[in-house]
Amino acid sequence: MRVRIVLGVVLAATLLLGLGAVLGRPTGGAPAAAPAERPQATNRLAALQERLRAVPGDWTAWAALGEAYLEQARISADPAYYPKAEGALRRSLEVRPDGNADALAGLGALANARHDFAGARTLAERALAVNAWSDTAYGVLADAETQLGHPEAATAAVQRMLDLRPGLASYTRGSYDLEQHGKRTEAVALMRLALSTATAPADVAFCHQHLGSLAWAAGDVATAARHVSLGLAADPGAVGLWQLKAKLDAAAGDLTLALSSLDKVVARTPTVDALLDRARLLQAAGEDPSSSFALARAAHALFTANGGTDDLGAASLALASGDAAGAARLALAEWDRRQFGEVADMVAWTLLAAGEPGAALPFARRANALGQVDATLAYHYGMVAHAAGLKDTALVQLRLALALNPTFSPTDAPIAVRTLAALES
Amino acid sequence: MTTPTRAGRRWRATAAALVAAGVAFAGLGPGTSSASSHREAPLVAADPAVDNTDLYAFVSPERAGYVTFIANWQPFSEPDGGPNFYPFATDAVYTINVDNDGDAKADAVFRWTFQNIDRRGGDTFLYANGPVTSLDDENLLFRQTYTLESSFHGEPFKTRVTGAPVAPSRVGKATMPDYGKLRAEADKRLPGGWNVYAGQADDPFFLDLRVFDLLYGGDLSGVGRDTLAGYNVNSIALQVPFSDVALKGDAKRNPVIGIWSTTERAKTRVTGQVGPVTGEKVQVSRLGNPLVNEVVVPASLKDAFNSISPDKDAGIPAVVARVTDPELPKLIESVYKVPAPAAPRNDLVEIFLTGITTKAGGPIKADLNSQLDNADVVAANFRPAEMLRLNLGVPVAAQPNRLGVLAGDLQGFPNGRRLTDDVVDIAVQAVEGAAQTGKLVEALAAGDKVDANDNAFGGEFPYLALPNGVSVNSPVSKGGSAAGTSGGSPSATAAAAQPDTTPSAFESGTGMTAVAVSTSAIAAGLGTLLFVGWWRRRRGQPQP
Repeated sequence: MRVRIVLGVVLAATLLLGLGAVLGRPTGGAPAAAPAERPQATNRLAALQERLRAVPGDWTAWAALGEAYLEQARISADPAYYPKAEGALRRSLEVRPDGNADALAGLGALANARHDFAGARTLAERALAVNAWSDTAYGVLADAETQLGHPEAATAAVQRMLDLRPGLASYTRGSYDLEQHGKRTEAVALMRLALSTATAPADVAFCHQHLGSLAWAAGDVATAARHVSLGLAADPGAVGLWQLKAKLDAAAGDLTLALSSLDKVVARTPTVDALLDRARLLQAAGEDPSSSFALARAAHALFTANGGTDDLGAASLALASGDAAGAARLALAEWDRRQFGEVADMVAWTLLAAGEPGAALPFARRANALGQVDATLAYHYGMVAHAAGLKDTALVQLRLALALNPTFSPTDAPIAVRTLAALES
Repeated sequence: MTTPTRAGRRWRATAAALVAAGVAFAGLGPGTSSASSHREAPLVAADPAVDNTDLYAFVSPERAGYVTFIANWQPFSEPDGGPNFYPFATDAVYTINVDNDGDAKADAVFRWTFQNIDRRGGDTFLYANGPVTSLDDENLLFRQTYTLESSFHGEPFKTRVTGAPVAPSRVGKATMPDYGKLRAEADKRLPGGWNVYAGQADDPFFLDLRVFDLLYGGDLSGVGRDTLAGYNVNSIALQVPFSDVALKGDAKRNPVIGIWSTTERAKTRVTGQVGPVTGEKVQVSRLGNPLVNEVVVPASLKDAFNSISPDKDAGIPAVVARVTDPELPKLIESVYKVPAPAAPRNDLVEIFLTGITTKAGGPIKADLNSQLDNADVVAANFRPAEMLRLNLGVPVAAQPNRLGVLAGDLQGFPNGRRLTDDVVDIAVQAVEGAAQTGKLVEALAAGDKVDANDNAFGGEFPYLALPNGVSVNSPVSKGGSAAGTSGGSPSATAAAAQPDTTPSAFESGTGMTAVAVSTSAIAAGLGTLLFVGWWRRRRGQPQP
C-alpha cells in the first residue's frame, strides 16, 4: 500500500491538470519492458510539481520530488539536478521537521551523490533514528560506508536493508557488496534476482549493465555482449551500457565502433569518467584527444560547481594531463577522507606514475584486500609490484589480469603481456 | 612520499622503454571500474508486483456457508494495449491468513506462488502475437500459472492446485476480443468446494485519493472523482466453506474470523547463498483493514507496520499509540475547526485492534466481530492486532448499504469488507469519533463524494469486474466516461445498483442470529449520524 498513495496523489494531480502523463509506468512493464522512451522520469517530476502547486503542504511529495530529481541526476548523470533536489528535500523538512525520515534519507542520498559520504552517513543515521525500519535509509548508509572504506559496516547495512525489504534496491547493493569481496558467482546470482524484479526500463538496463560488467571483469566477453544488447533493448539511452559496449568494441579491435559507442555516452552524459575513456580511445586510435580532455575538465568543474567534491576525478584529470605528482597528491587527499578500495587503487596507480612504487605498494595491496576479482585491479597491482621489485607478486597479478580478461584494455593489456614476457624470460 | 627506490628507478626505466616503444601508458589514468562516478544503484524502486493494495472478506451472497477473500496487488495497472503487462512476482509468496482464536497468529494460511511460461524466445517483447481466444492460445507468448497451498493449525502446507492458469493482463480488444471467456477459464473449482481465481481485474476500490489532502493541510473542496477509475489490479480470490476457517470448524459457535494478507520474499544473505523461496521469508507488505496505512499509521511507522506480523502489533507501543491518538482528527481540527475527539481513542482500538465487542473493555456497547465473541475462544490468549474481522453469522443483506455498519447494515465494513462498501467515507467518520461523540463533521459528511465503483461487480465468484480495456490516459478515455465503462461490464455504473440510505435501513437493524446481540447502539447511533450526513448531502448537492 505504501507506493499507492504517492503514486495516487501524483496521478490525481496528473489527471486533474490534464497532463496526460503516463504515471503508471513505474508500475508497469515487467518482466521485459519493451523499448521505452525515457520520459517516465520527467513525467514523474512534472506530476509531483503539479501536485505540490495544489497541495504545498504535502511534505511526502516534497521528499518524493527530491528523490525524483536525484533519480534524474543519476540516470542522466547531470549534477545540475542536485541543487533542485536539495531545495525540494529541505522544503519537505521545513514543512515537517519532525518524524520526516524520507527527507533525511533523501538528503543523505544527495550527500552520497555529491561524494560527501561522511555527511551521508550522518544523515542516514538521523533518518534511522526516526524510522529504524527504513530500508531506504539503510541503502544510503550502505552506500556511504562502502565509499568511506568501512566494508564491515557496509555489509551490515546491506544485510539489514535486505532483511527489511528484499527487492531491486537491496539486491543491487547486495550484489555490489559480494562483488567487492570477490564472490562473483553470488554477485551474479543476486543481480539476476534484481533483474527479475526490475520494472522501469532504466532499472532493467542497470541490472544488465552490471551483469555485463561482472562478466567483462572476468573476461566472459560473450556474456557481457549479451547483457549489453538486452540492456540496450530495454533502455536504448542507458549510458552505462554504451560505455561497457565501448570496452567490448575496443576489445574486439574495432576502435571506430568503440568511439561511436562512447560518443553516445558523452553526448548524453559528459562525465569525467566517460570523457577520459574517450580520450584514451582517441589516443589509442592515433587521434588527437585534447578536445575530450577539455570537456572532461569542464565536466569536473560542473560537478564541483553543483556542490560535489571529487578529488578522484581531479586526480584522473591530472594524471591524464601528465601531472603525475599532482594526481598522486589529489588521490592521497581523497584517501585521507575515505579509505575505499577504489581510492587505494587510484593512489597506487598515481604514485606509480609519479615514480614512487615503494609508496604505491601498500595501496595496491589495500585495493585488492577484499579479494575483488577484476583484471584492471590485478594489472595495477602487478605493475606496482613489478616496479617495486616484487617479482613473484608481479607474475601472479599480471597472469591473473590476463587470465581473467586478455583484452581488458586496448592500451594496458599489451603492456601487461610484454611485462609478463619480460618477467618470465 | 619516499625517495625512489632501486626498484622504482628500474620501473621508470621500464616505463621509459615502453613509452619509447610507442605505447601510451599510464599517462591516461586508470581504466578502473569507475574513478569519478562511484556506483550509484537505484534507491527507491517501484515494486508494484508485491504492493498489496486492498483486502476484502465477505460472506458469499449467493452461496450459503461460503466465505470469499479477495486481495489485490499491482495498483494503477493501465490497460494501454501496448507492450506493458503486469505479472505476479515469481520470487514472492502471496498469502491470505485467518486467525479464528484471537491470538493474532494464523490458524489458516493460503499461499500462492507463481511461475512464468515465457515463449517469447528472447527475440520479441510482445505479450501476444495475435488474437488470444483461450488461456492456452499459442498467440499468448507470456503466461503465468500458480500453485495454491494451504496450512491449517500450523501443520505443513498441502498443495491444493498446481499449474492453474492466471488470467492475463488485458491488452486490448484486438488481442483479447472476449476477455470474459479468459476470465471464465481462469476461475477454478477445487475439491472441498473451493473456488479460486488469480488474474487481472478492475480495481474495485473506489475513492478520490485527494481526500488525503487533509493530511497535508488541504481541504475536500476538489474531491468527487474516482481516481482509480479505469485502472486494473492483480487479484487473488478464494472462496472456501465456513468450516475450513472457523474455530473448531464450527461457524455456529465461533463465527468470527480475522483476516490479513501479506506478500513475502525469500530472505537473502550477502554473507552466504541466495536462498530459494522455500526458505526463510521477509514480509514486504501486509494488509488488513483498509486505509490503515493512510489514516492510522504515521509515515515513520509504515515500514515497521508492513514488516511485522499481527501478533507483534500490541508489542509496538508506537503503533498502538497512533491508534489511540491518531493524527488525522487533529489535522481536520486545524482545517475545519472541529475539535478532535479526546484521546485515548478506545473506540478506534475496537474497530482496528480488537473487533467490536463488549468483552475487551471498549466503549462500543455491542458484540459484533471480535474473536472474543467466539464461544470456544480462550480469552487469556487473545491479543489485540490489526486485521480485518468478519462475523460469518451475520446474514447477507438483501440491500447492501455502502456505509455498512454505520448505516445499520451489519454485514458491511468494518464487519469484513464487501466490494461495494464505501470505506473512505466510513473511515473518515470513524476517526472523527462518530461512535464516541455523536457529532458529525459537517464539512466531511460527503466524504470523498465517490460512493461506488466505476464498473459493476458480478453476482458470483469471483465477483470482480473485468479488467478495463482502454488506456486511462489515452485521448479517447480522457474525453468522457469511456474509461469507466470500457471494461466490458454489461451494466452501467454500480451507483445505480446502490440503494439509497433510508431510515429504515438502520432503524430496523438486521437479524443478528449468531452473537451480535446488542448492535442497536451502533445502528442507532452511528447510523443516524450518517443518515444526517446523507440527508444534508442530498439537499446540498443535486445528484448527477
